[in-house]
Amino acid sequence: MTGEPPTDQSRTDDLLYFDHAATAPRRPEVLDAMAPFLSGVVGNPTGSHRLARVARTALDDARDEVAALTGSLPGGVVFTGGGTESCNLAVFGVTADRTRRGKDARVCVSAIEHHAVLDAARRLARPLLSAPVAVVELAVTPAGVLDLDAAADVLRDGADLVSVMTANNEVGTVQPIPELAAIVRDVAPQAVLHTDAIAAAPWLDLAVAAEGADLVSICAHKLGGPVGVGALCSRREVALVPLVTGGGQERGRRAGTPDVAAAVGLAVALRLSADERAVAASLTAARRDHLAKLLAAGAEGLRLSVVDVPVLPGTCHVTVDGVSSEELVFLCDEAGLCVSAASSCSSGAATASHVLAAMGLGGGDDRGSLRLTLGAETTDDDVERAAAIVVAAVRRLRGAAR
Amino acid sequence: MLVAMSGGVDSSVAAALLVEAGHDVVGCTLKLWGGESDSGCCSAADVDDARRVAQVLGIAHHVFGLAEEFQSRVVEPYVAEHARGATPNPCVECNRSIKFDALTSRAARLGFDAVATGHHARVVHGPSGWELRRGADRAKDQSYVLGFLDEPSLSRVLFPVGAMTKAEVRDRAGSAGLRTALKPDSQEVCFIPRGGRRSFVGARTRLTAAAVVELSTGEQIGTIDAAQMVTVGQRRGIGHGPDGLPRFVARVDVEAATVVVGRREEVAITSLAIAPDTLRWSRARPRLDAPLLVQTSAHGAAVAARPADDGARLALDSPVRPVAPGQLAVLYDASDPDLVVGSATVAKPVLSFA
Repeated sequence: MTGEPPTDQSRTDDLLYFDHAATAPRRPEVLDAMAPFLSGVVGNPTGSHRLARVARTALDDARDEVAALTGSLPGGVVFTGGGTESCNLAVFGVTADRTRRGKDARVCVSAIEHHAVLDAARRLARPLLSAPVAVVELAVTPAGVLDLDAAADVLRDGADLVSVMTANNEVGTVQPIPELAAIVRDVAPQAVLHTDAIAAAPWLDLAVAAEGADLVSICAHKLGGPVGVGALCSRREVALVPLVTGGGQERGRRAGTPDVAAAVGLAVALRLSADERAVAASLTAARRDHLAKLLAAGAEGLRLSVVDVPVLPGTCHVTVDGVSSEELVFLCDEAGLCVSAASSCSSGAATASHVLAAMGLGGGDDRGSLRLTLGAETTDDDVERAAAIVVAAVRRLRGAAR
Repeated sequence: MLVAMSGGVDSSVAAALLVEAGHDVVGCTLKLWGGESDSGCCSAADVDDARRVAQVLGIAHHVFGLAEEFQSRVVEPYVAEHARGATPNPCVECNRSIKFDALTSRAARLGFDAVATGHHARVVHGPSGWELRRGADRAKDQSYVLGFLDEPSLSRVLFPVGAMTKAEVRDRAGSAGLRTALKPDSQEVCFIPRGGRRSFVGARTRLTAAAVVELSTGEQIGTIDAAQMVTVGQRRGIGHGPDGLPRFVARVDVEAATVVVGRREEVAITSLAIAPDTLRWSRARPRLDAPLLVQTSAHGAAVAARPADDGARLALDSPVRPVAPGQLAVLYDASDPDLVVGSATVAKPVLSFA
């Protein structure tokens, strides 16, 4: 082809971005911090010369920063290729360590985990490892919060790995990780507790919200950092069998030349999020509450998916009777409002949500769902305009259905 | 305008032509099937191809998940029809229930005036309104699987490649740099792995054996191990009679576990029974007694016919192999043989000896 490549004719200026949980706006400060490691000679941090030492220092500074901000051990941070890899490493790495001497293992995951945990756990149930692995799902209440009593009953029968997210990526419910950690210590002290804190990290202090977890997964691009970098952070020494093997980098837990720029980007994004968290969280929660109020008042058949339990400040998840999620998202997109039907998904088609199913909220065509997620830069005016677009879309689709 | 892009070359070029003509075009790919065995139509690779073509054309692309509708309106009826010994036509059903019902309704709700697809057929505004005509490439013509479309539906659909030959379509895709230019045509029933109809149906309903019985004598001449997979008119796998001549299926009766067969001339029909209330004429229909051509399969021959008995049957000018009940019969104007003038559903065959 010659000349300018054509672009999607959809408007891309003046958009209302309400999909922060899919990926957050990139922070310019992050790019500035990464820039020295993105062009020219950048030493391989595993080398022995001075350029290697410069790179290694930047990498280890980033590691210490991430450790401090997540309440992890210095050196307990493994940089990975993203949130999915972090979760996969926790699930495979711990379980493979438990089974490598031929001992059966039992993995307990909540029913509302991200697929990065859920699919990894389900694969374990197949005979890929040297001993059988039982995978047990831990139920959630209709409000979308882990049922601690039910979890305690399951864990009493033994567990090698327990994985429960710090907050859910789809409906935003905050999970009782400190309480779960106390239960694990009490009834299944041999188990490793992993928490996927990817959705929570932009909004919650993980030292508090994920207190007691042994392993914490985070991801840079949800924080305004680059895509393609995450970390698995250990609060204590946890034996992990690596997913990626080779040169023994990252203390043998993730082989391959470390991406210094990406690690720096993750650390800076996490630091900036932490610095602005106290102010941003309360302002955003107020805007989210206002959005929820406008939607509930304006659109017939629309219901908030979660009430009366702690939810991430940026998340507003609703269901609408009698309309399809795909059609709602389409009309919002046409009107310049970027939202998701549920969580982001590879094929682009809205599929029935396992999270809503676990909460007893059926998906399907008779009830559409919509996830609007705000960021710190979302304004009151954005909220008003977004609400008007959703209300108009719901009215149109419900009108057309008659 | 919404264009349904399957990830194949025809719908890619359909989208390209609409963009070129200056329409405001949005592409969509239907995700109808998938799950564990992500093969056949609308696989992840097909969605990728459609998306890439949309990107190259500079149009928005969406994926519409209609798997539940496809399951309940195409796949389940397909299995149920086989289970009762009938012969389903899932391609017609998919066009009827999914593309030209679920999708067109959605398009209307979302504010689109029309839906375009890559079908090889032509919609023309003629003297009596919107008409459906055969595609210009007779070998690729798909007017049969669209024969049920009524005038209101035709007024809201476009088939931009219907006036082109397949070779022209591929050339066009090649010169536009679309990566689907050389993609092979889709084959057979899209949701069934190659050659696996029997195992697909067998996994969903119980297949039972039947006696193969001579039409003329009532004598059993053999057995067949899955009566549900036998089609009226079928010759393959039926074998020969005691006289050494090939046998053709005249009737399938799953409950009685019999498949009635006969020699070609014994089973041939000269009259096609029409299921009650299924005969539909378009406004393009010529005189009531004008000679017609009737086609009963996607790429079968069209044979001369005339309506008889007040539309209860079609009298055929020459004998043909029997047609399975439930098939769509599409009627063309004998004096303008590309023009679709009506359609009907075939009822139980009327045998020539009856």
